[in-house]
Amino acid sequence: MMTAGARFRTVVPMIEIQHLSKRYGPKLAVDDISFTARPGVVTGFLGPNGAGKSTTMRMIMGLDRPSGGTATVNGKRYIDHRDPLRQAGALLEAKAVHTGRSAFNHLLALAATHGIPKGRVDEVIQMTGLESVAKKRVGSFSLGMGQRLGIAVALLGDPQTLILDEPVNGLDPEGVLWVRQLSRYLASQGRTVFLSSHLMSEMAQTADHVVVLGRGKVLADAPISDILSGASGQRVTVRTPSPELLAGAIAGPDVTVQQTADGTLSINGVGAAQIGEAAARAGVVLHELTPVTASLEQAYLELTQDEVEYHSEVAR
Amino acid sequence: MTTTAPHAQHTAPVALGDVRLSFPRLIRSEWIKLRTIRSTVWCFLILFVVNIGLTILAASVGSFGDGHLSGAAGEQAGVSVITLGVNLTSLVVAVLGVLIVSGEYATGMIRSTFTADPGRLGALFAKAVVLAVSTFVVSAASTWIAALIAVPILSGKGVDFSLASDKVFMPILGSSVYVTLLALLAFGIGLLVRTTAGGIAIALGLLLVLPPILQILGGLVNADWASNINAFLPSEAGRHLYQYDTGSTATVQSGGDGGPGGSAGASDSGIVVLNGWEGFGVTAGLVFLLGCVSLFLVKRRDA
Repeated sequence: MMTAGARFRTVVPMIEIQHLSKRYGPKLAVDDISFTARPGVVTGFLGPNGAGKSTTMRMIMGLDRPSGGTATVNGKRYIDHRDPLRQAGALLEAKAVHTGRSAFNHLLALAATHGIPKGRVDEVIQMTGLESVAKKRVGSFSLGMGQRLGIAVALLGDPQTLILDEPVNGLDPEGVLWVRQLSRYLASQGRTVFLSSHLMSEMAQTADHVVVLGRGKVLADAPISDILSGASGQRVTVRTPSPELLAGAIAGPDVTVQQTADGTLSINGVGAAQIGEAAARAGVVLHELTPVTASLEQAYLELTQDEVEYHSEVAR
Repeated sequence: MTTTAPHAQHTAPVALGDVRLSFPRLIRSEWIKLRTIRSTVWCFLILFVVNIGLTILAASVGSFGDGHLSGAAGEQAGVSVITLGVNLTSLVVAVLGVLIVSGEYATGMIRSTFTADPGRLGALFAKAVVLAVSTFVVSAASTWIAALIAVPILSGKGVDFSLASDKVFMPILGSSVYVTLLALLAFGIGLLVRTTAGGIAIALGLLLVLPPILQILGGLVNADWASNINAFLPSEAGRHLYQYDTGSTATVQSGGDGGPGGSAGASDSGIVVLNGWEGFGVTAGLVFLLGCVSLFLVKRRDA
């Protein structure tokens, strides 16, 4: 597979976004963002709904005109490539298929634009598990089958760069697992895989690197482990009959102690081991000492809590 | 639905050697698209059947003069019978032209199309070429089949004319050129408004609603400008493509004060009348103008 395209691979496959902006009337949907999605890793694009993820992806694919800045794929604007489907394959959030056409004919028509042989159409149908429904009209497809077809389209040109907008939307658990494995496999081949989600837990399973977007701005651009450890710090839950004594024993400039309603202490800024040792030295009895690692979900919520466009009352 | 394990996916890869965009490939793609949507196939089928059916019907049941028409009268009767279908097929191609592009916008297909050809114009030119060629071929084939069937039927009723005569041949050919131009005009409208309902409403309004309004308006207020606008509408200008040229076109129509033949223009009474070639020029010009505007906007707008 990789041998056929040797002469196309003189440029490192990557997505480079520089000072990209998109304005809809008075609203800045994407506000001067810059980041890079590199080959060989899965780059996650995370943010609440309305953060500008889809708009950014559409600008990368040349569907929306940037109000400012540039987005390049493998060194050039997508629109400037002579073999665009070979350079980047995209699954965009909304269905992009004529409902009256069969999946097979849809793929065949798109393949024809680049002279991609029919054998490759059969291949991507098989890869995405659409054999049994390929001849059916797309209008009758479930959301999950539509997603699979979208992924088949993205894979059609065997592209060096993949851009997948919410690829697991509507997929059953098996499909979710499949997308995860596929993303990791494609990245392991040296391709650039850039996928969006509004679910941190999904990213945690798939991405190596995460770009977090909120209200059109990049809030974080880091390896997923950094985001996890950096966001919330370490928290320890402690139960003790003498909370004042313990608080005095571990007091420090970065340490915060909060007492919750049921009498447990929530301590930030000092590790469980140090708390245990300090308690022993002070002769304080501990009934519980539990280090709480911030979940990715929490880290994400902390990052984006001020940037969500539509808060639900319950979430507050 | 089965799921293939990722490691098994590239077992027998298909070589993707010379894979890149080209205009002939875009044409091929648009041809696949055209014939894999039921609604467009139906439009062509209706176009075909109406052109043949209406002509045979009119030739069979119609009565022509006193039972013997020849010369100009015979030719005129022949042309009007053979091109009768245009009145209906013009509406069919107007719907088809809109549908072929608005359907892509309505379903989101256009994003796939523009992802495959991010330059956009190539894909749209290819679509226009496929639409125009298909419309012309189906229209011409059905019209000439109708003509070949109609000639002996009409001959049996004493209507004599030759298909080889310029004045018969040109309007029959012109009827296919007219519906092809209309299909392209509707394509431009569809590209402009990007919705099926809006596009069809505008296209049919232009063909069916606007001309009578202008005519009534022109009559009511005795305004030549209304009639003159009407003369440049696609339905009116295009009419001269498929109507029998009685020789009085390109002259003054009203008042019966038979002005000099030759070029069209404002007559003594100030009403413009076009001849066949001018009708073609005006209709093609409208297609060109609308095409430029809509393609310009397609380049600028977000898909």
